[in-house]
Amino acid sequence: MASQPMMMSDSELSPEQVPPPRAEEDIAVKIEGVSVAFRSYKERPTTLKEALIKFVRTGQFRYYSNFYALKNVSFSVQRGQVLGIIGSNGAGKSTLLRTIAGVLPPTEGTVTVNGSLDSLIQLGAGFDSELNAIENIYLNSSLRRRSRAQIKARIPHILEFAELEEFATTPIKYYSSGMYARLGFAVAIERDPDILIVDEVLAVGDERFQEKCRAVFQRFLDQKKTIIIVSHGMTSLEKLADTIVLLSKGQVVYVGDPKTAIEKYRDADYQTALGHA
Amino acid sequence: MQTAVAVEPVRSSSSVSSRVASNLFIDFFRNIVQYREYLKQSVARDLRRRYKRSVLGYIWSMLNPLLMMTILAIVFSNIMRHSVHDYAVFLFSGMLTWTYFSSTSQGCLGTIRANARIMEQVPVPKYIFPLSVGFSGLVDLLLSFVPLLLVMIVVGHDIPVTIFAVPLVLLPLFCITMGISLICAVSNVFFEDTQHLVEVIFRAVYYLCPVLYTREHLPQWLVKWASLNPMFGLIEMMRGLIYDGQLPDAEKYFTNFGGCLVVLMIGLWIFRRADRKFIYFL
Repeated sequence: MASQPMMMSDSELSPEQVPPPRAEEDIAVKIEGVSVAFRSYKERPTTLKEALIKFVRTGQFRYYSNFYALKNVSFSVQRGQVLGIIGSNGAGKSTLLRTIAGVLPPTEGTVTVNGSLDSLIQLGAGFDSELNAIENIYLNSSLRRRSRAQIKARIPHILEFAELEEFATTPIKYYSSGMYARLGFAVAIERDPDILIVDEVLAVGDERFQEKCRAVFQRFLDQKKTIIIVSHGMTSLEKLADTIVLLSKGQVVYVGDPKTAIEKYRDADYQTALGHA
Repeated sequence: MQTAVAVEPVRSSSSVSSRVASNLFIDFFRNIVQYREYLKQSVARDLRRRYKRSVLGYIWSMLNPLLMMTILAIVFSNIMRHSVHDYAVFLFSGMLTWTYFSSTSQGCLGTIRANARIMEQVPVPKYIFPLSVGFSGLVDLLLSFVPLLLVMIVVGHDIPVTIFAVPLVLLPLFCITMGISLICAVSNVFFEDTQHLVEVIFRAVYYLCPVLYTREHLPQWLVKWASLNPMFGLIEMMRGLIYDGQLPDAEKYFTNFGGCLVVLMIGLWIFRRADRKFIYFL
């Protein structure tokens, strides 16, 4: 599983694909030799009792084999650049995003981030359904070390953007899924980070709300913020992205020009994790 | 400033082994300060939840331990008739120290699991979840001084001035409680059934602590061993302040504090080691 004899011949970076070296401060995100190993368990004992019984029977405590979701991934993102990440299901896109977002520590390698970073992965994941919108905004923002005054100042904007002023004091367990997603998006967008990580979430809410989201996204683009985006929408990505990273089975196959990357992705030689498992 | 914020979670976890003990402590206390807003929110939420649920609210939550205490006091004050006067006060002062320790530690068992979804989205130092349990426990502890003072008045036990020195003991108590809480929290991430084991251990340790009795009631050899547990001394010191009106002996206090810090450090160390594996287990 570790070796891939069928690796594409053009997988090595040719000199013109390597972005020209720039000053360190121009780099927003730098990823060096990052590998993420998951343990894949056949039968993980979930209780101490089970573990002890199994240990007595088989004499071993390990029940897993390592599975590399990312293998020796390196690239860097320039400040103000839009970087797209593409790859088939199971290529490691989400793992890569979570590693950059700092929630998944890499097994090997380092991730260096210059500037404040926020992610639009799993919108509203930190919400408590027993609480209302305002309480959830406090909770969510305080996890990002905002002071009480800062949070308080943001609340009207967030509620306005999410169009939830009327329901601000309703526990969010009574929200519709659209309302929930809108609140999640509004909270995330209000933080105004230098670097934004997006995982195909621009499709929340109804058409009108989506239009609003697109406008915000455009504003981010205009402000020359660094954006890292995962998407399956190749057409829009080709327009948006300055650079595309193509992943295949946890490895970087190509970094560079969007057009070439998408061609390679659509090419018959592209390896999917599903087809070659 | 903001740069450091974003980079830190990744870096700190990748160089765990090289970190020295002092860094564990500095990080720990710095994170308490940095996440104070979250901790405040979370404690407020806990309290609101606990006291809003029932009509009696606060009174109810005080009634429950008070009732237990009354029964224990009635039963044991007869047994202890000759050696301990005002047994209810004696019992209460030891009990609230122990209760904080044991209910916080056991309350931390499920915290990592319960907050798994947050950890998948926001990079936070994961011990802030056990920490918030620790802080809301402290609030409960302070609130239980109301019934304590009530009992003291009813029984006619003089309220000593030294009661104002209680925070002096709360500090090491908080440290040891967090140390054990972190270990409990870690254990439960890997195995779902550790609470049974933890319960048994806590019960055993409870009877080896001078909550129901004084050290004079135990045989010498047992005291020697049982008092190695910093909780033994903490309960005695707390009782000294509330019941006897006695400040702790400086040497005893600092030795004990040192023991509590060692426990906290072990807890932090274990937590740090396990920290990066959590995400794979949840």
